[in-house]
Amino acid sequence: MATVTYDSASRIYPGTEKPAVNELKLDIGDGELLVLVGPSGSGKSTALRMLAGLEFVDKGSILIDDRDVTLTPPQDRDIAMVFQNYALYPNMTVAGNMGFALKQQGVSKEERAKRVMEAAKILDLEEYLDRKPKNLSGGQRQRVAMGRAIVRSPQVFLMDEPLSNLDAKLRVSTRTQLVDLQARLGVTTVYVTHDQVEAMTMGHRVAVLDHGVLQQVDTPRRLYSAPANLFVAGFIGSPAMNLIEADRSGDELHFGSSVVALPADVQADLKASSATRFVIGIRPEHLSNAGGGLNSNVTVVEELGSDAFVHATIQHGGGDVTIVVRIDGETTVSRGDNMPISIDGPVHIFEADSGKRLGTPPE
Amino acid sequence: MTDVVQDQSVIVDRSDEVERIAKKEAWRRRLPILPALLFTIIVTQIPFALSVFYSLTDWNIVSGVDREFIGFGNYGELFGSSLFRQAAWTTVVMTTASVLLSVFFGTLIAILLDRKFFGQGFVRTLLITPFLITPVVAGQTWSTSMLNPQFGVVNWLLERLGKDDPIQFAGQFPTWTIVAVLVWQWTPFMMLIILAGLQGQDPSVLEAARVDGANSRSIFFQITLPQLRPFLELGTLLGSIYLIQVFDHVEVITGGGPGSTNLPYFVFQRSIGGGWEFGQASAFSIVVVIATIIFATLGLRLLSSLLEE
Repeated sequence: MATVTYDSASRIYPGTEKPAVNELKLDIGDGELLVLVGPSGSGKSTALRMLAGLEFVDKGSILIDDRDVTLTPPQDRDIAMVFQNYALYPNMTVAGNMGFALKQQGVSKEERAKRVMEAAKILDLEEYLDRKPKNLSGGQRQRVAMGRAIVRSPQVFLMDEPLSNLDAKLRVSTRTQLVDLQARLGVTTVYVTHDQVEAMTMGHRVAVLDHGVLQQVDTPRRLYSAPANLFVAGFIGSPAMNLIEADRSGDELHFGSSVVALPADVQADLKASSATRFVIGIRPEHLSNAGGGLNSNVTVVEELGSDAFVHATIQHGGGDVTIVVRIDGETTVSRGDNMPISIDGPVHIFEADSGKRLGTPPE
Repeated sequence: MTDVVQDQSVIVDRSDEVERIAKKEAWRRRLPILPALLFTIIVTQIPFALSVFYSLTDWNIVSGVDREFIGFGNYGELFGSSLFRQAAWTTVVMTTASVLLSVFFGTLIAILLDRKFFGQGFVRTLLITPFLITPVVAGQTWSTSMLNPQFGVVNWLLERLGKDDPIQFAGQFPTWTIVAVLVWQWTPFMMLIILAGLQGQDPSVLEAARVDGANSRSIFFQITLPQLRPFLELGTLLGSIYLIQVFDHVEVITGGGPGSTNLPYFVFQRSIGGGWEFGQASAFSIVVVIATIIFATLGLRLLSSLLEE
């Protein structure tokens, strides 16, 4: 059990100008499950590897439980890591894999067997202990990789996309088990994924990275309802938030033919801003087809059963813009229909160039 | 679209047709390798069969006496011959020592090469060159330029270091001189094979081991070495097969001198090398082939069991 602190930690790969991770500041609490999420090249894996000691920290420092580990080699950090491809030792059995770290610590054979057995019980691996990794299925390998981490009871778990090699169904069930396991063990965990759904469903808090820069750290709920900037708004949520560019006309913004109603604080920020181009962000569920002033032309309907996502074009800013509207699954809408829509919920306004959010986000 | 259930009588049985196509396909694949197969049979299997036949005859090519079938007489004679036993023992020593030493040094150099440094490609090319040299030239270079008692570089160096009387390498240590040259030539080969094995390792496995608290030493012995096993086996097997047949080095360095006659050289001596006993020599060479197979298999077993631990 431990806290983890990234204190303005940067990694600059030799021969590159731009840092892969740029002055990352992050405080991770004891027992917390923090997810690092971002598109490929965002520096999320690099940030994790810096904590593992597998990458140098060129600037700043990293602390585990207030102990500076910036220059400590990985073997002395008391961390356990689960790799994307599991990185099991191919020449050892499942038991050998799980007991390897304990063997390095000089733990006695009996104690090792006992602890491996305990972990195997938790992960349903008892009957596979004598098998070699090559004779296991993908899901079993993943569990062995998990087992190898939990056997050690380390201070911190590091997980680098541990579910991305599983098929879709197994990924969802393993995700739940992992969250449950982490809560039971109470070990501080840093989890890297490119999948925002995984990030939202698993993280106590989620840190969004882009181009090596931390964009926002918050609870999944807040990340969704109050994205700090345009990148987070577009990245979090599936289907993505509708992001529609709009030029200001005086101190007003138009969505299609109608004026967007703005709260007072956004209005004030808009007045104060010198930018001319803005982005209006509306979640698909905050658009309604229950009648309204805006005409749209339906192009695609994605039926999900409980609800449906309608892709439709609207007239906006002198051209056609495609938007996604979530409607009730029972409603019958089909391609070519004319669907009147209206805004029915919060609207997020961002400066188009800086990506900055207008207005103070709701608490 | 809605008719899921079909009338059974309408379904066509295609198993005959499928079998015919599969057979045709199989021949289409075999055909291109047939010429090579034929050639191999002509140049290896027929001579081998002839050797087996000659080995059962008494045939001295210069005596003028006709070839005479004597059954296993040559083989019986062979095991009673102390010269043959000596040659067999020399072969065992020479092959074992040179294979094991070249695997050992090859592994060491491969580990040094398996990291990025400036001029890596150049160094690797230089290290491979001994393997590219014709055996006769390698033998000649070592026995004259390097190890010659009068003008060899090694003795010159020893003299500088204060050793007065030169060492007669080929005379005093004939077998080990040959082994040294063989190791020098074969280390690069082993190095290449082991290097391929090292580079085929999943780097994240090594990272996982580091995170799991292993130091470089335990990573090498517990993770890397066991993973190199198939490569070490391959190197040993190929090395044994080639080195058991060494002839050139023996001829050039010692000429089979005191105790350094191995089986291939012995076969040569008994036949075109002056013995002219072709029946006997054929019997010896058959034994060499059988010994090679046994030796290579045993070597492989030994290595595997060592690595198993």
